[in-house]
Amino acid sequence: MINPDLLALFTTLKMAALTTIILLIIGTPLAWYLAKMQSRFKVIIEAVVALPLVLPPTVLGFYLLIAFSPQYLPGQLWQQATGQQLAFSFSAIVIGSVLYSMPFVVQPLQKAFEQLGEPLIEASAMLGASAMDRFFNIVLPITKASFITAASLGFAHTVGEFGVILMIGGNIPGETRVLSIALFDHVEAFDYAKAHILAISLLAGSMVLLASIYLLNNPNRKAIKRDL
Amino acid sequence: MSSPSLKFNSDLPLLIDIQLNFDKFSLTIKQELSLQGITGVFGHSGSGKSTLLRIIAGLEKEINGTIVFNNTSLIDSKTNQFIKAENRNIGLVFQDSRLFPHLNVLGNLQFAAKRCRNRRLNFNEIIKLTELESLLEKHVDELSGGQKQRVALARAILAEPKLLLLDEPLSALDRQSKASLLKLMLKIQNELQLPMLYVSHSLDELQQVCDKLLVLSQGNVIGYDGIHQVIHQLNYTQNNHAQTSDFIHQQTSLSLPIKTLNNGHGLATLTLNEDDEIYLPALENNLTEKSLRCFILASDISISLTEPMNSSIVNHLFAKISTISTVDNKVMITAHCAKEDGEQEFFVSISAFSQQKLALKEMQNVYLQFKASAVRTYLY
Repeated sequence: MINPDLLALFTTLKMAALTTIILLIIGTPLAWYLAKMQSRFKVIIEAVVALPLVLPPTVLGFYLLIAFSPQYLPGQLWQQATGQQLAFSFSAIVIGSVLYSMPFVVQPLQKAFEQLGEPLIEASAMLGASAMDRFFNIVLPITKASFITAASLGFAHTVGEFGVILMIGGNIPGETRVLSIALFDHVEAFDYAKAHILAISLLAGSMVLLASIYLLNNPNRKAIKRDL
Repeated sequence: MSSPSLKFNSDLPLLIDIQLNFDKFSLTIKQELSLQGITGVFGHSGSGKSTLLRIIAGLEKEINGTIVFNNTSLIDSKTNQFIKAENRNIGLVFQDSRLFPHLNVLGNLQFAAKRCRNRRLNFNEIIKLTELESLLEKHVDELSGGQKQRVALARAILAEPKLLLLDEPLSALDRQSKASLLKLMLKIQNELQLPMLYVSHSLDELQQVCDKLLVLSQGNVIGYDGIHQVIHQLNYTQNNHAQTSDFIHQQTSLSLPIKTLNNGHGLATLTLNEDDEIYLPALENNLTEKSLRCFILASDISISLTEPMNSSIVNHLFAKISTISTVDNKVMITAHCAKEDGEQEFFVSISAFSQQKLALKEMQNVYLQFKASAVRTYLY
């Protein structure tokens, strides 16, 4: 029998990794579109994307729980397509995480695309580069640091998620029981020793990840490297 | 670099018939450009010259009308035809280089060469032509302004466009870099026969390299002809267009055969006709050009009724006055001298006071006099 906390760690990493990949795939075009958008509706889309930053996670979780239940359309469609209930499943917590961590991926990318602007894109077009060519050989390498920031923040924020998962995922070992939930369980059971191990691991892991991002985004990084 | 495979086809007309409306600016241009050699596009800021270039490049999309290049319609708003910038086979050198910061000089050049469909140019020969051999491994941040523009020019050429657009490529450079880049443009034009459309607000630069000149004012074409003819036309129009008078000096623009580069007394000579030569400061001895582009400001020429034999002023040409026009106590006189193949027109500006004193009349024979240093050339 595998250690339940290790299983929770595995579930957490799987959820966070999958969420980050999905967010990069849908967040990149969304951020691009927002960076280029000049319509009045831009602020509305920006507000919707940023909503999870200010909304209590339980509010998002509550509405998702209702949407995912078999009585409502999204839940019904999911059940018809997969034969399984959406609420309280691994898929549910991934979908919840995607929405919950969206601003952490979209905002740094949007800012990077806005800063990059049109000049280099136009220059590469004038050399015969197609739109895809321009994205992969000009935009992506130049905004690489922002992609790493976006992915790291999206990943870290998903690992630290609690309220949404509790609402829509519950506490099913190997399915929806992630580290933050496991920690909560230990505390409720007064098993502070185990709680300490999980808490300090999450703290240290998050610290290392954030420090790496800030190091990467330090404008003096190249100079520091040269000095070394 | 004499292999014929390097030659571009330079005999391609460009037909422009477009209309574009921005909030406070509209552009209406209907013009056929022959695109032989280097065609200049001149105008003050806000005249639409850069916008015209961006339209031809394919970087502006909201356009009414048509542009036909090389018998292909690039834009046709009636049939919703719009060929994307990357498929036009037109190059553009921007004012601000726009080198890719994540690549070094070599990487920037290879980016262009890799995307060229039918490569005819030899990569190393272009690097040699643009004198970039020693810069290839440099990061683009380490380059000077002039070096950046040389890389941008080489990069644009390596994409092997059928037409090269240059949008104020010299405006951020110092005088010396400007001259060396202009010489490079002439060299490229000579070796590759690549037609260029060169936008600038500096008539001095344009005068040195362009064969033809298109003049824009407030979104409209106000002149298109050979470079000297257009500059001479501008001598008149500037009285009518208050906006352009700020920066056009009335001048005589001419190309003359070089007779001697240095006569041993610090002067060079150009042949005007059988009897007359024009003296100017000595030129570099290694100059290979057969003829020289130069200009003389109208305010640098004076008029004498008799031949001034006892003067330090070396140039005095026998001429006949063709027109006299007076605006606000300033008199502009045009006079013509004999030239090998016809007549050379000179523009002279004097005060109304001098004109009355000398009682100058049309058809009168006079002597034009100007110092050797009044014969200017931007490049040498």
